Amino acid sequence: MAIKRHLPLMLFGCAAAVLPLGLKDPYYLGILVFIGIFSIATMGLNLLMGYAGQISLGHAAFYALGAYATGLLTAKYNVHFLPALIAAIIVTAAIAYVIGIACLRLKGHYLAVATLAVGEIVFICLNAAVGFTGGPSGLAGIPSIEIGGFSFDSDFKFYYLVWAVFILLFILTANIINSRSGRALRCLHSSEIAAAAMGINVTKLKVQVFVLSAVYAALAGVLYGHSVTFISPQSSDLMFSVKLLTMIVVGGMGNLWGGVLGAALLTLLPEMLSAFHDYELIIYGSILLVIVMFLPDGLMGGFEALGNKIIRKVRARGRG
Amino acid sequence: MAETILEAVRVRKEFGGLVALCDLDFGVRRGTVTAVIGPNGAGKTTLINVMTGVTAPTSGSIALNGSIISGLKSHEIARLGIARTFQTAQIFSAMTVLENVMVGRHTKTGCGMIASALSLGRMRREERTICDKGLYYLDVVGLGALAHQPAASVPIGTQRLLEIGRALAAEPVVLLLDEPAAGLNTQETRALGKLIGTIRDMGITVIIVEHDMELVMDIADEILVLNFGSRLAWGTPEHIQASPEVIEVYLGKED
Repeated sequence: MAIKRHLPLMLFGCAAAVLPLGLKDPYYLGILVFIGIFSIATMGLNLLMGYAGQISLGHAAFYALGAYATGLLTAKYNVHFLPALIAAIIVTAAIAYVIGIACLRLKGHYLAVATLAVGEIVFICLNAAVGFTGGPSGLAGIPSIEIGGFSFDSDFKFYYLVWAVFILLFILTANIINSRSGRALRCLHSSEIAAAAMGINVTKLKVQVFVLSAVYAALAGVLYGHSVTFISPQSSDLMFSVKLLTMIVVGGMGNLWGGVLGAALLTLLPEMLSAFHDYELIIYGSILLVIVMFLPDGLMGGFEALGNKIIRKVRARGRG
Repeated sequence: MAETILEAVRVRKEFGGLVALCDLDFGVRRGTVTAVIGPNGAGKTTLINVMTGVTAPTSGSIALNGSIISGLKSHEIARLGIARTFQTAQIFSAMTVLENVMVGRHTKTGCGMIASALSLGRMRREERTICDKGLYYLDVVGLGALAHQPAASVPIGTQRLLEIGRALAAEPVVLLLDEPAAGLNTQETRALGKLIGTIRDMGITVIIVEHDMELVMDIADEILVLNFGSRLAWGTPEHIQASPEVIEVYLGKED
């Protein structure tokens, strides 16, 4: 049972481990690093949206906060990476906690607008605090991640770091989903009143999952900042929040693999469509529209339905 | 006669100018089935909502085992041992039938997110007992065979049983059933009546809001009749059936 449950992840891990060995072009390695980073961010957002049913249009803010926190601490104040990382997690979690308490009383569109506003506030602050953050021109010169004397100073090394973090978080997240807390989370999606009647403290749980998902976004931001050695307020803007959300919707809400698939697709597509650069947004929009209309459970949901159909057909043929 | 387990004293609930519950007094005895009946808009569901903390009463109090519960939040009241079902079945549709019932164990277990994420031994042991209890209570309501079906795929009658199973998994002191027979056919209703008898025999006090008079007269030890948020009558089924006030409200006044 346990092996069967972890089989897809094990296969995925093996594939991820050998993939860079066959890649000649460093350009593709860079893209795979980004896919890993976005997969981490979407995993957290998926917990919040796909499982707990709470929308956030401001997750880019936490991504940027994470990136700026370790970026500033390591580049400007020469703090070691690990303490900087812990500081970044604590700061983001604290900010998300305060925002969560304020916003999560709201539902649906109101929650969407409130989180959108939070993203904008962070965006404006990062732009305005020129002396501290470097303002609109961004923060440059973020050093490579160094842990215990080992420096992740090439794309090749960084690739393994990012995907190792991804796999670790995937295991933790899957454990949560299949536990008492995870079931409680999934209850919120269908019926808050029934969840409360079963003894679930709805408000507390919503704030918890909001903070947790913000920390995932911050971790992704940290990895991003140290991988490109540069961070600007641009990465906290609405467009990026929407992009994260689109990845989940396209890949499949409430399916951990959906976030990965969406992240991969929305990172690869712009590269493949760069020939149509003027029409990129139109193509993007059309893809989203088609998926929302015909595959409301995203691509993973579509694949699952297709798989079940094939299994039923095969069985029917076996009988007949 | 058994002692009172749930007691309402002058419970009043106003929505704006509308008085939904008007200074209601009543008590429910331990281990009995008490039915709440009355015409539409009499305040039956409001009463259930007040008892479970969905809304707080405007004034008055409700006590469970002598301690005041009115004004507490839903999840706090659930923890004290009141479980409920809903008029329109509120199942957790994104889960399997078994997982729904496993949610019922929430108040009886305690592993948080961190213990779950790390999959500690304590958490895995707890998870096994949650699963065992879940299967046990699924069998009690007769849905054992459907354990691994998606909850969204089962018909309405089954959903109602699932809700009852979920509530039973919390091993409550008092179980509130809000129109459990709505949408059920005669056969299903008869099975429901039997199930309610079983639940009472488990030592659980049952309060049921129901329109199906045959079912009510069959299973209730006591009946509370509401009309316009006030108590119209209160007593055994025989007493209620003979009560001229009740007959007047239900059948109209004879001139």
